[in-house]
Amino acid sequence: MINVEHLYKRFGKNEVLKDISIDIKQGEVVSVIGPSGSGKSTFLRCINLLETPTEGKISVAGVDLTDKNTNVTKAREKIGMVFQHFHLFPHLTVLENLTYAPLKVKRLSKAEAEEKALVLLDRVGLSDKKDSYPNSLSGGQKQRVAIARALAMEPDLMLFDEPTSALDPEMVKEVLDVMKDLAESGMTMLVVTHEMGFAREVADRVIFLDQGLLIEEGEPHAFFSQPKSERAKDFLDKIL
Amino acid sequence: MNLDWSQIVPYIPFMLEGIWVTLQFVIVSIVIGFIIGTVLALFKIGSMKPLRIFADFYTSMFRGTPLILQLMIIYLAVPQLTGYDISPFLSAILAFGLNSSAYVSEIIRAGISAVDKGQTEAAMALGVPYRQMMIDIILPQALKNILPALMNEFITLTKESAIVSTIGYLDLMRRGQVVGANLYRPFEPLLFIGLIYWGLVMVLSLMGKWVEGRLSKGD
Repeated sequence: MINVEHLYKRFGKNEVLKDISIDIKQGEVVSVIGPSGSGKSTFLRCINLLETPTEGKISVAGVDLTDKNTNVTKAREKIGMVFQHFHLFPHLTVLENLTYAPLKVKRLSKAEAEEKALVLLDRVGLSDKKDSYPNSLSGGQKQRVAIARALAMEPDLMLFDEPTSALDPEMVKEVLDVMKDLAESGMTMLVVTHEMGFAREVADRVIFLDQGLLIEEGEPHAFFSQPKSERAKDFLDKIL
Repeated sequence: MNLDWSQIVPYIPFMLEGIWVTLQFVIVSIVIGFIIGTVLALFKIGSMKPLRIFADFYTSMFRGTPLILQLMIIYLAVPQLTGYDISPFLSAILAFGLNSSAYVSEIIRAGISAVDKGQTEAAMALGVPYRQMMIDIILPQALKNILPALMNEFITLTKESAIVSTIGYLDLMRRGQVVGANLYRPFEPLLFIGLIYWGLVMVLSLMGKWVEGRLSKGD
């Protein structure tokens, strides 16, 4: 599903990602962890080209995103993204947030878009909020709407950029539950997270980045109980 | 102090007609200024360097010279250069529209920059094309932020419109002067049209408040 080959990203002289290569299969849930400043978010943002890679090749669902002739806007339709700070459209209602892209990008009819949006809102448990504006929602509710908004485009894979980091502790679970449910439904997911519980229980694979290098990857239980590298060991000692 | 309001009574319809004359070209100028201003703002934030340079140059030129000079140049220089006898109305909407667009473009540019960058990213991640994103997501939010500044610009334009009286256009201001000259009593007619300008600006402010209220429904 995702194929990354020798990805480099530099901001000026600052090398943020160094020679990252990885393959992610359809239906796989991969957690990206690492200390802050390790390049995890930048890595994630390269996958849908919110950051332009300096070097390397990224293909998603067989489409080479780094090819100059690829219509990136078109390719992004199939890549859902959830942000740390939600980024819901504040001037649109919850329902309009969900139907906007399907209406304007996929050109669905209003009835069809709304029908699908209502199913998704029900799935994230927010049917009763469909006519509310984002600013009247709690953080957890906003993030669930943001997930539903991304799903409304029926993506092939979902990127999560620290989806619970901006939430109050009591709201983390409601968002993780939605993500867990999504993982179980077979969605391909790439999740940058500080939630080690999620990485351990839900992810099929964990990749550990530090200072722009992919240090270690592996099955979560093995990784958390017996990390192979010193740096991963240090990191886990600090946070667990 | 001897004020005699009865003398201006026969001239009141003549002066009131000036409201429509003034409004007519103020409205057209606002629309022109807003459209061109939006386009210039998009040039300024866009990625095409020549357009950015053009928009910056345009703004510095129209902000850096007196409005009355721009009006004179359009009204007097166009016939001299092209032989086309430009009407006062056309000169007025051109001068005011082009001048206003320079200010409006700065206001809108600032408004767009103030919209959270995450909004752009969210729209991009959904596969929304740039144009569509600007129209549906960014500009509505920018507009809400800049409405007070924009209203201020429209109010300024309404008042500054009195400058067209200098090219003999029979707007509100000019009519006040004409009546004053006829009666040899400038005070009453000038005070009268002053009240009308004030009323116009009040109506404009109220409209602005109303629009602001409607746009803030998401808060």
